[in-house]
Amino acid sequence: MTHVAFPPADVAGLTTDLISTGYIPDRGLATAAFLALKLGRPLLLEGEVGVGKTELAKTFAELYGRELVRLQCFEGIDAGQALYEWDYARQMLAVRAMSGTDGTNVGAVDELFGLTYLVERPLLKAVRGGDRTVLLIDEIDRADDEFEAFLLEILSDFQVTIPELGTIAAATRPIVVLTSNRTRELHDALKRRCLYHWIGFPAPERERQIVGARMPGISERMAARVVEAVNRLRDMDLAKPPGVAETIDWVTALDAVGATDLTEQDAADTLGAVLKDRDDLELVGEAIGHVVDGH
Amino acid sequence: MSSTVTDGGYTELFIEFSSALREAGLPIGTDDVMSLCAAIAELNAADILDTYWAGRTTLVTRRDHIPVYDNVFRYFFLDEVLSKPDDPRITMRASANSQGVLQVPDTETFGDQHQDEEFHLGYMASPADVRRTKNFAECTPEELAALRRIMASIRITPPRRRTRRRVAGDRGRRLHLKRMVRELMRRHGEPDRFIYAERRRRVRPLILLLDVSGSMADYSRNLLQFAYSTRRAAGRVEVFCFGTRLTRITRQLDRRRPDEAMAEAARTVFDWDGGTRIGDSINDFVAKWARRGLARGGIVVICSDGLDRGDPETLANALDRLDRLCHRIVWMNPHVGDRTDVVPNSVGMLVAEPYIDRLLSGHNLRSLEEFAQILPELG
Repeated sequence: MTHVAFPPADVAGLTTDLISTGYIPDRGLATAAFLALKLGRPLLLEGEVGVGKTELAKTFAELYGRELVRLQCFEGIDAGQALYEWDYARQMLAVRAMSGTDGTNVGAVDELFGLTYLVERPLLKAVRGGDRTVLLIDEIDRADDEFEAFLLEILSDFQVTIPELGTIAAATRPIVVLTSNRTRELHDALKRRCLYHWIGFPAPERERQIVGARMPGISERMAARVVEAVNRLRDMDLAKPPGVAETIDWVTALDAVGATDLTEQDAADTLGAVLKDRDDLELVGEAIGHVVDGH
Repeated sequence: MSSTVTDGGYTELFIEFSSALREAGLPIGTDDVMSLCAAIAELNAADILDTYWAGRTTLVTRRDHIPVYDNVFRYFFLDEVLSKPDDPRITMRASANSQGVLQVPDTETFGDQHQDEEFHLGYMASPADVRRTKNFAECTPEELAALRRIMASIRITPPRRRTRRRVAGDRGRRLHLKRMVRELMRRHGEPDRFIYAERRRRVRPLILLLDVSGSMADYSRNLLQFAYSTRRAAGRVEVFCFGTRLTRITRQLDRRRPDEAMAEAARTVFDWDGGTRIGDSINDFVAKWARRGLARGGIVVICSDGLDRGDPETLANALDRLDRLCHRIVWMNPHVGDRTDVVPNSVGMLVAEPYIDRLLSGHNLRSLEEFAQILPELG
């Protein structure tokens, strides 16, 4: 596809662009995204699981023809896995080779900490890629809080400091999206460098549009019925209320078993696509009639 | 960033709006205001929706601040009346209590409590020692004040667990390559020792769930004080109160002055001295907080007498879920007292028993000290 102009002219323009790729934002999200792009600030998205936080970064990459650089956070992630790492094996070989000679070759030692021996990790890659990249820092809340400190320099100045080499700054700014499932509170220092948006569950009308955009072969009636049922599930006291991703999974599953309408039998058979918790399955299993028909 | 981007007096307006938010308790810096102005410059300031979202994206950084923001926004731009969340009844109660502590002179402490005096005469070394074993429910306000001061000195050290993060150290199975290469360089390829990558140890989160219902009235204020001290002493501590519903008060306790923190926490909790629905409250905790990871690998301390007005099955289910999410469950029941042969005395306790790793009383200072002592062993 041909890529659209960057940055977008206004909120309405960005909304149209996003919808053209099948991502349907509400006014708040569109405004937050627009401001992030226009002001060149990182966008921090928080919200329930499966409401399209990660998807927005992917959509940006597709929309502007940029490379998506993804950093999946996990407990224990450190600078070596996120920023850069020296290629120790090669360095050691080089040291061995050097120790065979007179060992006072200063130039050779400098070279040992040059770009040849540097292994690029996602954050450095995004900084060097500049405006050719979308940097997605996914589930930042999973990383331990010490890790957030590594991000501060990148998020405010888009640069990485490597003690042996100096500072590498981005010539142009990458689009940066951070997501958090809010398993813990993030540091204010990190939040202050970002624009913040909380994504809630979409309104039924918008969710029907999303299903329609993602699953073009599905009848409107079917989409509407599933969305209604999912909304009833969200009203029940579930351990894990289904997100939009689950709605789409459910529609896919129903489609796969050849259902053309949401019946109790089909719903019960495919419930595993939408609920992933045993307690929830038991609870809903007893009330499947209510979920499907609303009474 | 220059603030000449806006004109037509908007800048003034947004600065005023920002200070209104600041007054409502949102932490907003000058650079946040500048962000807002820059954002508005890109949007249409005459469009109320644009203004709303520009402000919410640049000034709000927490989900729990959104209602506050909405409230101030409505008041500021739409002329609606500010709703006040303060419950005057609770504020009065809290301030009356702290005044009582200040005014009553210390010498009267034992005067009107003959039975206690007789009981303790034999081994009374210092007032503090007596108070240590005295039930909170029987303490006078000034005794409690003294106890609270001692309470603040109890050292809380939650157990540690090994994390996946590695740091340089002397032990371990893997070499710490980064440091090793440096060492090699420094010594021309002849290191005199090995540097290993050790697994770092990290403090487990500690979560306190405090029952503030009527039957716990004699204890809840002290437990709150204990929670405050704990929060200040240990790193990762979360505090919740519950009666009929659950309230998170972690942030309210983050004040430097204890009285302020107590008052702030008391204001936040609505169901002070009401009934108890332990099952629903713990269920709520599991669904909203524990599942998200707040309690993962943590020590959950429930302070309650187990007198539950809700369905016992709800409590059993909630505890079953909690048990699978956290590392250890400690139950403090002040009504247990000093007895060692504890037989569950309420339906709640009966139901909860299989899920509890340690049962303590927490009814006096010594028992709280005991808790601080066994805490490191719960790892």
